[in-house]
Amino acid sequence: MELQVQLLMNTLQIGSVYVLFALGLTLIFGVMKIVNFAHGTFFTAAALIVSTIMIWGVDTMGLSIWLSYLIAFVLALLVVCLIGFVVYVFGFQYFLKDLNGSFILSIGLLLLLNGTYLILYGGVPRSVPDVIPGNITILGASLTLQRLLLMIVAAIITLGLYILVHRTKLGLSLRAVAEDQEAAMLQGIPYRRVALYGFLIGATLAACAGALMATVTPVTTVIGDDFLVKAFIIIIIGGLGSVVGAILGGLLIALIESFGGYYFDPSTATLAMFVLVIVLLLVRPQGILGHAEK
Amino acid sequence: MLKSNPGLALSILIALAAICFALFSGEPYYVQVIIWVFTNAVLAVTLRFVLLIGELNIATAAFFGIGAYATAVASTIYDLPFFISLLAAPIIAGLISALFGWVTLRTKGPYFLLISFAFTEVVRLFYTKSEFLGGNSGMIGMFPPMALNDYFPAIAITILTAILLILYLTERSNLGRVFKAIQNNEDIPRSVGLNVIALKVLCFVIASTAVGLAGGVHAYTNSVIAPADFTFFVAVLALAYVKIGGEAHIAGPIIGAAVLTLAGQFLHSFGPYENIFYGAIIIGALLLVPGGIVGLGARLRTGTFKGRAER
Repeated sequence: MELQVQLLMNTLQIGSVYVLFALGLTLIFGVMKIVNFAHGTFFTAAALIVSTIMIWGVDTMGLSIWLSYLIAFVLALLVVCLIGFVVYVFGFQYFLKDLNGSFILSIGLLLLLNGTYLILYGGVPRSVPDVIPGNITILGASLTLQRLLLMIVAAIITLGLYILVHRTKLGLSLRAVAEDQEAAMLQGIPYRRVALYGFLIGATLAACAGALMATVTPVTTVIGDDFLVKAFIIIIIGGLGSVVGAILGGLLIALIESFGGYYFDPSTATLAMFVLVIVLLLVRPQGILGHAEK
Repeated sequence: MLKSNPGLALSILIALAAICFALFSGEPYYVQVIIWVFTNAVLAVTLRFVLLIGELNIATAAFFGIGAYATAVASTIYDLPFFISLLAAPIIAGLISALFGWVTLRTKGPYFLLISFAFTEVVRLFYTKSEFLGGNSGMIGMFPPMALNDYFPAIAITILTAILLILYLTERSNLGRVFKAIQNNEDIPRSVGLNVIALKVLCFVIASTAVGLAGGVHAYTNSVIAPADFTFFVAVLALAYVKIGGEAHIAGPIIGAAVLTLAGQFLHSFGPYENIFYGAIIIGALLLVPGGIVGLGARLRTGTFKGRAER
């Protein structure tokens, strides 16, 4: 029992980061109909900024850990938004709905940004100090407060995004554009501006995931790339463009990874995910909650 | 056929020159670079071959690796003769691709792109975890027989040239026209009673068999293969060759492969800047020269040089 609870806790921890990462990808896909292979670089940028600023804030400036984490978090989101804005204006806006063109553009960006990070940050992994030290025991399973905080913040952000997409006017135009771009434009929705907002929201979600992840794992310049393959599997399972699908898919993949990784080994778990995808494709090629493509 | 097609005649002449160079030159490094150029050309051309039906196939990298591993297993573990080991590569790659394509080609566009990407990474993971296949360090000891050793580079280039030629002729045949029709609008070929899924799988299998054979040749030229050689990045570079050379004509990916492979020889000295350089080349070519080198040539010839406004 304790073991199962512990594994379930692990599932929620990994899952919450997966969900944030996959939500950004699926949102960008929904609005722009492109697959952003450079999504991991947004995640990485945020993690790098958080680790740099926090270490600087605590060691050099003598700020409290809470304050320096808050400053680092906000700064990370701002910088990633700026990077997102620049790559959208100078690149992606020319490749809306162009799958192949945007793929190669995002790969080019991936190389360029990862190379730049390596030069600026160096290859040595860095860990940040604990924001809230200590452990908590839930039903016999032990959990660091740090990770509990991560899960809560991720859940709040996910809920916020759900409300944004389903309850606000911007969310309505995002969904309208995702469903049928031309019909949306006929209704007076400015497609290009909505696409930019969708892209920036997606980038910010990746940045949130990165800034949260930086507190519980050593930060390297390729930290975001490890999430990419799994995020792709998640959004295929959930259905491209589906918010609820990304949440369910993220938790399912985390469940397989956590339990499969314990009872077998991590690579068996990854293989199992792939088999799941193949079987799912046989039954439902558009994913659990995706819409069939015309 | 050659008289009416000077480009093809020229290409064959260049390939013959490369073969002669491999036979009579004493410079192993340059011969090696030529084999790389031809291998990369095959990778790019097979990637473009599946683009004919409108799908971006990252699994090109996976089938290149599957071919290489098939040859390595056949020659080092089962001690099969040279040509049979080499033949194992396209056969195994073809069989696996038929199975994989039959399941996944029911999806298209982004779904196929992502699933082929995941497949590539999972196959690579499988190599690293398989004791039988040498795990992370890969497999060593694929050598051509002693009697053929001096001629092997020439044989490799001949095989790779033959692959390129066969893919070119297939594209020009009626089958190739059907593939392009599927890309334009798959409902029209379906409306005249063609089995579109089967044709897509056929296109995929042809490309994977070809790239599998190239993988087998790679195993013998390198003598050492490791999982890290077959990441999705192989397909990314192949796509860069296609984009920079231009995808309108089969010559595009070949030219792109030649230019970037030769440029890459100089880039190795850049260290961490190498990736930045590749990234910048890819983005620059995509934004500034949308049709690639071939498109640039065509536009210069017809005098419609208008930059990216044509997109």
